[in-house]
Amino acid sequence: MTRYLRLIRIFTGATLAAQLEYRANFVGAVLASLGEVGVALLGIAVLFGQPGTTAVGGWSFHEALLVVGLFTLTEGFISVFIQPNLSKIAEAVRTGSMDFTLLKPIDAQFGVSTRNMNVLRVTDLLIGLGLTVYAASHLTVTLAGVLGAAALYASALVIVYCIWLVLSTTAFWFVKTQNVTELFNGVFGAARFPVTAFPLPIRAFLTFVVPVAFITTVPAQALTGELTPALALASPLVAAVFFVGARLFWLKAVGSYTSASS
Amino acid sequence: MTATWRKVRTLFATQFAEMTEFRAEIVIWMLSGTLSLVMMLVWMAQAGNAPGGQIGGYSSAEFATYFLSTWLISQLMVVWVAWELDLDIRQGTLSPKLLRPLDPLWMWYASHLAERVVRFPALLGLVALFAWLAGARFTTNPTAYLAALGLAFLGFCARFLWEYTIGLLAFWTESSTSFQEVVWLVYAALGGMFAPLAFYPEWVQRVAVWTPFPYMLGLPAQLLAGKATLGDAGRGALVLTLWLVVFWALRLAVWRRGLRKYGAVGA
Repeated sequence: MTRYLRLIRIFTGATLAAQLEYRANFVGAVLASLGEVGVALLGIAVLFGQPGTTAVGGWSFHEALLVVGLFTLTEGFISVFIQPNLSKIAEAVRTGSMDFTLLKPIDAQFGVSTRNMNVLRVTDLLIGLGLTVYAASHLTVTLAGVLGAAALYASALVIVYCIWLVLSTTAFWFVKTQNVTELFNGVFGAARFPVTAFPLPIRAFLTFVVPVAFITTVPAQALTGELTPALALASPLVAAVFFVGARLFWLKAVGSYTSASS
Repeated sequence: MTATWRKVRTLFATQFAEMTEFRAEIVIWMLSGTLSLVMMLVWMAQAGNAPGGQIGGYSSAEFATYFLSTWLISQLMVVWVAWELDLDIRQGTLSPKLLRPLDPLWMWYASHLAERVVRFPALLGLVALFAWLAGARFTTNPTAYLAALGLAFLGFCARFLWEYTIGLLAFWTESSTSFQEVVWLVYAALGGMFAPLAFYPEWVQRVAVWTPFPYMLGLPAQLLAGKATLGDAGRGALVLTLWLVVFWALRLAVWRRGLRKYGAVGA
């Protein structure tokens, strides 16, 4: 365990050193972050800007803003930690450099998941966190709510990671996977709004088929104290099932890997 | 004349052949541009819950029509040339393209047009499916479709040119594609991807009419929904044409300066 922690520290140091060399890229990253949060904010701003509109799907403005904050935070998490690593799987399989990862005396899934980091998109994390705190400061929040939300959001991150891992792992069979993750991004875009803002059949789709609801809506509900116990239990359960499933899928993929040359 | 015609035909034929290879990807790209669809669902639910079943004079079905139309039009306006330029300039693969007796702009332009031909049938199928699911109804006036297509074409040309200009910034900066994200946001917002333009605050509307965005996205969508007149379309076409001239001049100026810089470093 300590070995893995030490490795994470070494990986982080190396990736930081490599990225801080290109300081001009920071401007670009900030612009991109602003663009993304802008889309989410404009979406709800226009909705609430209509005369007579005080709620969207039963959520007040600040409650909906909480969802936007968590959405931005998750986008940041994806672009800082998940995407820079997992998007490289496809290329590693194609060029055969996956061999090196598999030969190392550490768990290969750990290796492909932690090696890189896109430090520049930390701005997403900061904006997301800022929005969440700002929105929460306008609502009555209890300590239990905060703790519950934190726990549920941790489950949410596990779910996001697992979906990405499974999608990227398909690279062992299909060479191109970037498109599949694009498709997930498209569906994930719905997480900008609380799921109750959608018509009923879509809500079911976003809860049971692609569990987008668990990523932003459920933690936000925990924070506002409107969470039903069933959902509170479902979220970690879904995360656990996804984690085991993704792990098995990864092992099966690695098992069928025959290197690029053979 | 025949020489030019031959160039055009060859360009289009090769680019079309390339694009048909990507047909599976093209469908996936289409489905990943979901912002209008997400907004459609949210507004439909809002209208369904509102007293009287409508918001700002739009019923649930009218929202479906508007946003599906925006989705259709925005799909015709997808442009990725900035990414290609960014890559080509950074990796130096622009150089062989400069040797051809033709501005590289036309190659990319043809490739985008060819992609539209591949995209269109699948697009119509998806729109028909979504329209049936969401209960959208489009206008029955054939001239409205022609006008909408014409505006979409002008809009596409405008978008192509401004994206091209942004892509050319790769001569100077490494983050040219990020500028694109911010410009896309302005285009989506003022174009009416979040809501019909009439739903925006009044000062935003007053600014928007001077930009090309409402005429390339919202106006064709309103035409398809039967909520705009041909007179509006004519005015929109005029504004778009003026903007086209501006973007063309801008892109030419940036291209010339950029090439000088590229030659100084790369050759």
